[in-house]
Amino acid sequence: MSATAAVADALARQAGGTASAAFGLDCVEVSAQRWLTALQAARDQHRLGYFDWLGGVDEAPEGFAVVIHLAELSSCRHLLLRTRVPRSAPVLSSAVGLFAGAAWHERETAEMYGVVFEGHPQPTPLLLGEDFDGHPLRKDFVLASRVAMPWPGTAEPGGGTARQGRRPPRPPGVPDAGEWGPTSAPGTGR
Amino acid sequence: MGTDVGARDRQVSAPEVPPAVPARSRGVIALLADNCTSCMICARECPDWCIHIDSHTEVEPAEREGGRPRSHYVLDRFAIDFALCMYCGICIEVCPFDALYWAPEHGYSARDVGDLTHERDRLGEWMGAVVLPPDEDPVR
Repeated sequence: MSATAAVADALARQAGGTASAAFGLDCVEVSAQRWLTALQAARDQHRLGYFDWLGGVDEAPEGFAVVIHLAELSSCRHLLLRTRVPRSAPVLSSAVGLFAGAAWHERETAEMYGVVFEGHPQPTPLLLGEDFDGHPLRKDFVLASRVAMPWPGTAEPGGGTARQGRRPPRPPGVPDAGEWGPTSAPGTGR
Repeated sequence: MGTDVGARDRQVSAPEVPPAVPARSRGVIALLADNCTSCMICARECPDWCIHIDSHTEVEPAEREGGRPRSHYVLDRFAIDFALCMYCGICIEVCPFDALYWAPEHGYSARDVGDLTHERDRLGEWMGAVVLPPDEDPVR
């Protein structure tokens, strides 16, 4: 067992989570309630005091995962901690009190996925404008410019568009103009 | 030993001296138009929507008496907009007829973003820069 795997196991025991490894990186999964407990144990007891990054993953339809990468620089030990929040109430305690550097990462995760970090000292958008509507990295976020833009795949081999009676091919992930956008019927949009 | 602070300034680099890039660099996507059947698979799989294909159908008369005329697609336009391309290589992977190749050529910057759309002639020229893949690893 590697040194990091031992740390991951110890952390999992302390925070009531589970440890796993994938692609050579150990990961500790904890519940959202034990998130700060696990982070504090990682920082104070396992000396993983270097905050690298924090990010989100849209695990539709269940909810969102929040992942943090912590390291101990002198020995290059590093691991991930992951927690999950439900889609209906994506709320998690802010880690800024433990890792000040997480402030920007949490602001970005908040605006991109709509995860609320409770106790964040400055819960404003980091990259998006104040009036931006929606959370662009959610899988159900519609790319509006793609609805408006002609898709090069509309053309059929041999020229023209789909033959009569055949359904024209549609670009993946882009709703039909009738289903979404200014020309769609009211109430059918996002 | 002290640090040579001027070394960086004296370095001669691109564009005066072309940089050495690995043979299998994802520099540009080259087109072997003879292999293209205008099937549209690459244009539809492209996540960036940067491949534009126009084609038409040509019908050849039956080869013998009572036979059926055969139609085939003729490629009119094949263009890649390298302003949008993110060099993922999906088009090369999905092409069923090996009409697209990676080439290490990279010196094709343009002042105007519109000039980064390259048509089949230019894409075809880059075929000359395509490097043969290395031999497969020996089976252990």
